[in-house]
Amino acid sequence: MIALLREPLLQFLALGAMLFALYGFVGKRSADAPEKIVVSASRIANLGDGFARTWRRPPSGQELQGLIEDYIRDEVFYREGRAAGLDRDDVIIRRRVRQKMEFLAEDMSVPEPSDEQLAAYLASNPQLFRTEDQLTFHHVFLSATRRANTIESDSKQVAGVLARADAAVDATLLGDPFLLGEEFRGISPNKVTSIFGEDFSRRIAATETGRWQGPVSSGFGQHFVFISERVSGSLPLLDAVRPAVRREWANARRLEAEQKLYASLRERYEIVVEAPPSKAASAEVDR
Amino acid sequence: MFRLSSISGAALAAVCAASVFAPTVAAQNATTDIGTLDKEAADKAFPIKPPYSPYAGRNFPTRPYFGDTHTHTSYSMDAGAFGARLGPKDAYRFAKGEEVIASSGQRAKLSRPLDFMVVTDHSDGMGFFPQLIGGDPGLLATPQGRKWYDEINSGKGAQAAIDIVTSFGKGQMPKGFPTPGTPAYRSAWRETIKAAEEANEPGRFTAFIGYEWTSNAGGNNLHRNIIWRDNGAKASLVEPFTTLPPLGSPNPRDLWKWMAMCEEKTGAEILALAHNGNLSNGRMFPIIESFNGKRIDREYAENRTRWEPLYEATQIKGDGETHPFLSPNDEFANFERWDKGNLDLTEVKKPEMLEFEYVRSALKNGLKMEAELGVNPYKFGLVGSTDAHTGLAAVEEDNFFGKTSSSEPSADRAMHPFVKTDKAVIMGWETTASGYAAVWATENTREAIFDAMKRRETYATTGPRMAVRFFGGWDFEAADANNRTPARIGYTKGVPMGGDLNNAPQGKSPTFLVAALKDPIGANLDRIQVIKGWVGKDGQTQERIYDVAVSGGRKIDADGRSRTAVGSTVDIANATWTNTIGAGEMITVWKDPDFDPALRAFYYVRVIEIPTPRWTAYDAKYFGIKMPAEVTMTTTERAYTSPIWYTP
Repeated sequence: MIALLREPLLQFLALGAMLFALYGFVGKRSADAPEKIVVSASRIANLGDGFARTWRRPPSGQELQGLIEDYIRDEVFYREGRAAGLDRDDVIIRRRVRQKMEFLAEDMSVPEPSDEQLAAYLASNPQLFRTEDQLTFHHVFLSATRRANTIESDSKQVAGVLARADAAVDATLLGDPFLLGEEFRGISPNKVTSIFGEDFSRRIAATETGRWQGPVSSGFGQHFVFISERVSGSLPLLDAVRPAVRREWANARRLEAEQKLYASLRERYEIVVEAPPSKAASAEVDR
Repeated sequence: MFRLSSISGAALAAVCAASVFAPTVAAQNATTDIGTLDKEAADKAFPIKPPYSPYAGRNFPTRPYFGDTHTHTSYSMDAGAFGARLGPKDAYRFAKGEEVIASSGQRAKLSRPLDFMVVTDHSDGMGFFPQLIGGDPGLLATPQGRKWYDEINSGKGAQAAIDIVTSFGKGQMPKGFPTPGTPAYRSAWRETIKAAEEANEPGRFTAFIGYEWTSNAGGNNLHRNIIWRDNGAKASLVEPFTTLPPLGSPNPRDLWKWMAMCEEKTGAEILALAHNGNLSNGRMFPIIESFNGKRIDREYAENRTRWEPLYEATQIKGDGETHPFLSPNDEFANFERWDKGNLDLTEVKKPEMLEFEYVRSALKNGLKMEAELGVNPYKFGLVGSTDAHTGLAAVEEDNFFGKTSSSEPSADRAMHPFVKTDKAVIMGWETTASGYAAVWATENTREAIFDAMKRRETYATTGPRMAVRFFGGWDFEAADANNRTPARIGYTKGVPMGGDLNNAPQGKSPTFLVAALKDPIGANLDRIQVIKGWVGKDGQTQERIYDVAVSGGRKIDADGRSRTAVGSTVDIANATWTNTIGAGEMITVWKDPDFDPALRAFYYVRVIEIPTPRWTAYDAKYFGIKMPAEVTMTTTERAYTSPIWYTP
């Protein structure tokens, strides 16, 4: 809440609302009671800070003067604009205020979680944090492009050779070069999908290790695959994934808090939604 | 030089000469004695050592990483919050492959995760609406500002707001657009950094910190995206550079000064990449600087080449590789063309502007300017990106979520004007489902990807994730195309895309190892081309296209062109195609047949896919609508690599 109160925009809005209440319209206001715009020392410091944040140096005297002038100009137009009711019925302002409320909900929702909370979150959402499976495999590639008409028979022949080959054989030489390589070490099923496509990935996910499998088709041709190692993913300890758990936990809290805030605020209203005109018309007819 | 395509027996034998077993298989007919083959294969294969060692310790990039360097979210000025609901966090989640609810309420998910992303929200804009509402005279002096102000005053605030949002989404902000520096601005930047920090998972997904510097002087697009190599600790030491005085400037020279300051004072490393020269009306790659009317000098050239190693060649607002006017002999040049005017269509395009806003002509002019200045200002690598203003980097043709939230999938989005002025109209259907950035990095981390960007080892795609290799050197030979590890031979004998060749050995011409592998779930490839640009003896720039590999056994003529089109399998009504034409992969070695060691030159690769249905065809099918005759319904997706430059 404090962060929100510090937002000058909100201060402006509050100020504007007061002005609005006081004067209604600019036109109605008498010119003989000039309002005061105070550019406080802390405001000036603030302006200087803003400059320094962009340029990593304080503004010169002249630059600071320019910033102050600009601020006053902002303030004058802003007050007048508010007083004239220009903010009303404005989608931009409505949404911006809503966004701030949502930010506020988010701010309120993220006290630093305890280890217990994080551990509980980790335990109840294992699918978010499991490490991915890791596959190490090499493949014999038969290119559909290079072997347009012979790929089926070549594939049978290679299958025959590999049926008798053992692991120590560099069988990749039986096939064609593959641009992205013949051996893949410790890669995740997701990566396999991104390189070979989903069907291939699904096929080899189910095959056993330590022997040749195939042919497995991809968009590129056919592959014989030898998986030498498959390390199953596991649920890591909290210490190993604390930032990720914290992020997901905070995200869940954020959504929850926003929902709660909205629900509690909405309770204060009785909401009437009128039927759209066309429906209303037909309702009339029905009656 | 040889071609690889779907191959006759004899050609295959030659192609596979370096492969131990394959040529034997290929040379046999179908009735081959399988026993004989077994023995032969066994003899050759069995003595060889296990494959585990060859890859150990290698440190060259082995896989391209795909990402988007250019996604806007609801943070793109607070007005941006009004079409798009998704913020940076959502954008990163979507890029990582999660399903999200788009601003239009539809469920959205990528076919597969991206490897990296930069959320690049506009640095300008946080103080926009109070100033507009306040009736700032500078703002009211512009037609747009005046119009919005009047609308707001006459009770049409919502209408104005939507117009503002749409215009801002398109970068169409009036002159006099206000300066930022408010706490709201600061908090948005903090949130941007925080979202990237949280989404960044080294080794799995890279979330860069960045923003867009939206210089739009006179409605002419000079935008740059700024990307940090570093983490939030350094990025949060500064606030983004904007385009409006007193804090900002629309002049790229001032951006470069700011970048230098940022690196010096915070110890960060950053780069910038420009985009959409096609909407700059001749100002993106100037010879005469638009800000002072003077010829580009050495200082400009040094800074531009230092800070801007990359250029975004293709995105939703059209393709920027080249234009039919500039490349009349290029039958693929007329592609996703946006040449009606500048970004906000306040100034119509004149043909003489084109030279200064497309990639190919800029690369050519860069060579010429290098001869004059000693530095090439336009020595950039290529990427594609989306420029989506939805938080959704979704540019697959069958999964295109449009440019702004109002152009997310709907029955009428194609026929809704995207920009409309009294000068011209760009319709919704003209937006392009493009593109992504591909980076050959050693690993998926901020540092590795950034470093690869700096060395320009990148290529642009219009959406598909094809793998494209391009190496240049003096000693590549035909057999290298059959090497078991093309990457190793490439890095050993040459330089990768983005690199330099010089010191031509006596009597030698540059040779290139060129390869492409189709997107594993995408369309086959039609052809690979090498595009050469150079400055002739007369000082005039030249360009020439060589087809270096074509699919389907088509002939490449003596002049290096294959004039037979690949054909098309597209069924527009059903929005389908088949991979019965084209090739899944192509690799070849090509030698410049017309090399003059005294002349500056560059070479880049263009990979063309077979025709596929355009997003408009998927829309028509899904929504059951009929598109008007002028709507383009097929596309030929493509990739453009960074060039390799030859300097005498």
